[in-house]
Amino acid sequence: MRRASVWIFLAYLCTPSFALYRKEIYKEDLRIQSLRDGQVSTTFSFVTVLEGAGPRNPKALGQRDESQHYALFPLTLGQILREYAITELHLTLNAGKWNYDNWGHPHEAGVGTGAELWAWMGASEVTTVDERWSGLRNALSGLFCASLGSLDSRRTLSPTVAFPLSGSTPTFSPHELRHASLPSENVCTENLTPFLKLLPCKSHAGLATLLNPQKVFDADWHGMGVHVIWKEDTGIELKLSLQTVFNPVRTSAGKRRDWNLQSLFDRSIERSCPVASSSSITVILPEGKDHKITPENPSYMDGLAIYDLSSSSNFTIPSNIAMYWPSEHSFQYRKSLSVPLPPLTPITPLSVKRTIHGTTQTRGVLSVSVTNNSPQEISVGYLEMMPALITMWMHTLKVEINSQIRSDLLSELKYHPPSPQSNDRFSPSMLQAVLTIPPKTTLKISMEVNKAFLKYTEHPPDAMRGWDLPGAVFFPLSQLSHNTSSSYDWERIYTPTLLVDLPTPDFSMPYNVIILSCTLMTLIFGSIFNLLTRKWVVMEIQE
Amino acid sequence: MDRIRGFLRRPRRPDANIARLRRRRQAAAYIHRNLTKLTTALFVIGYAWMLLIPIPMLSQGTYIDENALQPAQVNTYWNWGDVHTADLQLYQLDGIQERNLTSEQRAEFFRTEFSKLGLAASIQNYTFSTSKGIVSGNNAYAVMSSPRAAGTEAIVISASWLSRAGCGTLNLRGTSTVLSLAAFLKDYSLWAKDIIFIISDDYLHGMHAWLNAYHGTIPSNLRTDPLEHTSGVIWTALNIDYSSHSFSHLGVFHEGLNGRLPNQDLINSFRLISHYTGGVPMTVYDHLEYSDSVDRLPEQSLFPPWVPPFIQQSPQLQQYGYRVRNVVRHIGYQARGMCSGVHGLMHQFRIDAITLFAVPADGPHGFHALGRIVESTLRTMNNLLERLHASFFFYILTSPGTFMKIGMFLPSTILVSVAMLFKGLGEWVTAGWVWEISEASLKGNETEKSSPAKGTWRNRRRPMLSALIVVVTTHVLGVLVFNLVCSRWFAEYPSFLAPVIFTTVSVIPPVLLPLLSTNASEAAPTSMLLKSSNLCLASTVISITSLLNFSLAAMLVTTMGIPLATSCTSSSTTTSRLRYAGYCVLAWGWLVLVPGEVESAIWNWEVLGVWFAPFICIVYAPLVMQAAIVCL
Repeated sequence: MRRASVWIFLAYLCTPSFALYRKEIYKEDLRIQSLRDGQVSTTFSFVTVLEGAGPRNPKALGQRDESQHYALFPLTLGQILREYAITELHLTLNAGKWNYDNWGHPHEAGVGTGAELWAWMGASEVTTVDERWSGLRNALSGLFCASLGSLDSRRTLSPTVAFPLSGSTPTFSPHELRHASLPSENVCTENLTPFLKLLPCKSHAGLATLLNPQKVFDADWHGMGVHVIWKEDTGIELKLSLQTVFNPVRTSAGKRRDWNLQSLFDRSIERSCPVASSSSITVILPEGKDHKITPENPSYMDGLAIYDLSSSSNFTIPSNIAMYWPSEHSFQYRKSLSVPLPPLTPITPLSVKRTIHGTTQTRGVLSVSVTNNSPQEISVGYLEMMPALITMWMHTLKVEINSQIRSDLLSELKYHPPSPQSNDRFSPSMLQAVLTIPPKTTLKISMEVNKAFLKYTEHPPDAMRGWDLPGAVFFPLSQLSHNTSSSYDWERIYTPTLLVDLPTPDFSMPYNVIILSCTLMTLIFGSIFNLLTRKWVVMEIQE
Repeated sequence: MDRIRGFLRRPRRPDANIARLRRRRQAAAYIHRNLTKLTTALFVIGYAWMLLIPIPMLSQGTYIDENALQPAQVNTYWNWGDVHTADLQLYQLDGIQERNLTSEQRAEFFRTEFSKLGLAASIQNYTFSTSKGIVSGNNAYAVMSSPRAAGTEAIVISASWLSRAGCGTLNLRGTSTVLSLAAFLKDYSLWAKDIIFIISDDYLHGMHAWLNAYHGTIPSNLRTDPLEHTSGVIWTALNIDYSSHSFSHLGVFHEGLNGRLPNQDLINSFRLISHYTGGVPMTVYDHLEYSDSVDRLPEQSLFPPWVPPFIQQSPQLQQYGYRVRNVVRHIGYQARGMCSGVHGLMHQFRIDAITLFAVPADGPHGFHALGRIVESTLRTMNNLLERLHASFFFYILTSPGTFMKIGMFLPSTILVSVAMLFKGLGEWVTAGWVWEISEASLKGNETEKSSPAKGTWRNRRRPMLSALIVVVTTHVLGVLVFNLVCSRWFAEYPSFLAPVIFTTVSVIPPVLLPLLSTNASEAAPTSMLLKSSNLCLASTVISITSLLNFSLAAMLVTTMGIPLATSCTSSSTTTSRLRYAGYCVLAWGWLVLVPGEVESAIWNWEVLGVWFAPFICIVYAPLVMQAAIVCL
């Protein structure tokens, strides 16, 4: 009897694990690249693949879900994904503005300042997409200690063209996109700690050992991303990425651009993560021959030096990887000594500037200038997601090249004005268009905007700061339409965020109190006193 | 409640109400009888108050209102190595001065220097067209994108190529401070706002062109390209003016265009930082306090040399004299709408800015102190989470550590304008009545000459049409004169045209006046009605202006207060003509007497958009001319 019960117990233990057994693969990679302005970009990516798994069908949301057993995949994230039946999820938390002109396109495209969250979800009658979106925001904001909860209907849109599904499209139901961004989100160490907890080795082993908050948050730019993608042939892929742009010229005593892992992170990799199936550091070698890299025995392949750190390889973990320029005394931003110096040409084929002009608090002009630096014509998608604080006037939209109106260069214009929501709020407005930019020219788009007059309760506590507006997004059109410019590969370009001053009352306390109390006193006292005492009669006065 | 209502609603005897009405009439009659005394008292109090503005008792100590600023609470890192960088830059700039480079070459040099530091640098070419010809120049600027900052806010550090010291003095040390600060500041990751470095051409118009291009408000007479590099919203700015070899004090200049002032928190924080971080005393303008200037600038004494020394050396009077100089200088800048430095151009764009002027001296301070102070001030500005909004925007800095709130100086002009209003209303009432001696009583009392003539007050009509025509005509004349003064002809032949305009505008009213139909004999005379409307109009103008620009209102009060109130016709033609001439000089005399001021006011209007010139031509001079016409 006892023996039988033990067998039953063992069988019970084993059954679900056999039934739900899925292969989980964990890979980690670090890419290091020296940039032309002396900075060093590092991109960590930690990929966990849940082979054979698929997203939850939202139509089954009312029923009991299958139990979740993961070895490497983070359970906390898995529970959120299952609970809200998320097919695809992208969350980025960045600080700083990415300098496309000097740094080129980032390895991870999502570099918009602040927080950005977008998710693809299947439609269902059980729970609507918006309900699940709200739950997802709150769950993630709890998980990552970020104010994602405030990405409510005032910031949510569905720009499906610019943010398509990266993986496969499930067939169980039509899918919808929810996208929101919060440019004023400050990203710091409280977001990194929960991020590291999602890794199988935490920050104890492997590449994540390097992630020293003191150094990461002293970088000129840093950002982390969580990307969940479902691919039909592999399964669910979770990619945790962390990008930083360090400035060794600023931090080193001799103003040199030399770097090594110790100087960048102030830590070294003691052991590799035992569960990682691959673990590597890839150094993208700069052009030219004047640099040296140690240790010198990695596998070189077309401009890359790859160091394999995985425990399976017989390669010993290098204590430090360093790159240095022995012939350089201190870093020269500009090599040319000719006076005047020619202006630097941007690396990326497109460079974008966006500003709001105008000094008044009621109206302004939004102007975007897009420069095509390449010798070919480029067609890009342009997406503007503006909170309802700002009203864009479409009739004032002007497309110019060298002060000449060229309306033919803007096509497929789509504009959704702010729509009122159930809770007396307005959803953002969305402007989407296709721009065709002739080679080596600058296209200027400008339109007049009105700034909203808010109720005084709608102002934030720091009312005099102004309101942050999310950056515009430029995205490549689908491969079919732009065969000419497919020579380079990019996902999206984010412009820096903007700050606008709305009409703001003087919230300073004494002024308020005096004005308000005086007005009340006068109104109440004056009218009531008159009502109580005044009587109109005709009098005759004899002189 | 009922009892209270009963008390309030208690039936009054009709006599009581009649008595109340009588009392009111008596009070009005009393005021009318004593109107002269009342207005005189208001005039005296108002003018006396204006004289008392500089006394220390009316001022109060400055304080920091915005908690985020935390001035002088940081360790500064600017050291002698950075001073060496500044010295090297200065050496290069000296070379530029000797080689006499053009504006383009200079800007190119600055751009190269900024680019070598890895900053996004560029040049802005600009051309202003004015009635005096074309002004052009080149600004060099660089934007430092701060680490981890979204680039939504920015701080500006600027230096103009010419110093405010005048006479073509070059601001070489100020410029090299900006260049070396650019090299120094980018080595720190603590900046939360972008920092924009600007080296503007010339004195004022370079920065004006840059600011307009940055904010996309390019006026029609400015030609410039959009800026290549931009950043976020500029909240605060520091302009550095350091032209001499070394300095003893740092003077703060704060007046902006059209009488705008920066938030006082900026000045107060700078004062604390200058004192505690740099050990340099701050002064208002380049005025040294008497204790500082005792052996250096004896000519700045308030008193003429014949005043006995015990009065000259009285500390209270010295203190008063020092404050008088500060207040007068402030009123001088603000009333004319002039900015006291390059910083003043920024206030119209909601940028709080001041100029730091290194007061020339033989020592003891130089780049070391200035660099530390600017660094610490930038750190303070960097702390801001919102725009400066907590402290005062309307104030008079009477000394570095004391200021006057608006409530302490505003009543002086308001009292005078109230006196003028009373005077005007009094004139209006007087115009409505005429003392008529009835013929019957005249005949009956011919024998008793000693008894006063009996008569009655008779109501008479007050037709305003002629007075209104005069008012409108004078203002239209003002508009014409303003257009003429701003024309190219005036710019070319000012010494010839100014007397011609003056004579014409003085002669036109007496010539045109007879064409105006005089009021019928039973109606009130036009001159009384004109004076009444003139006083009421002037009073309104003064009280409105006093809120926007106190100094301008104070100037109007001093020039218009008494003269407008005392204008009247005279029985003798000579006296009235002399009076008329006097008023004409008061109204338009500046055309001939102060040609330099006229020229600068026109330039300020055309290039910088200062409202002083149109205000004087279209509002002030016509008002005085109406008083002149009253005298005819």
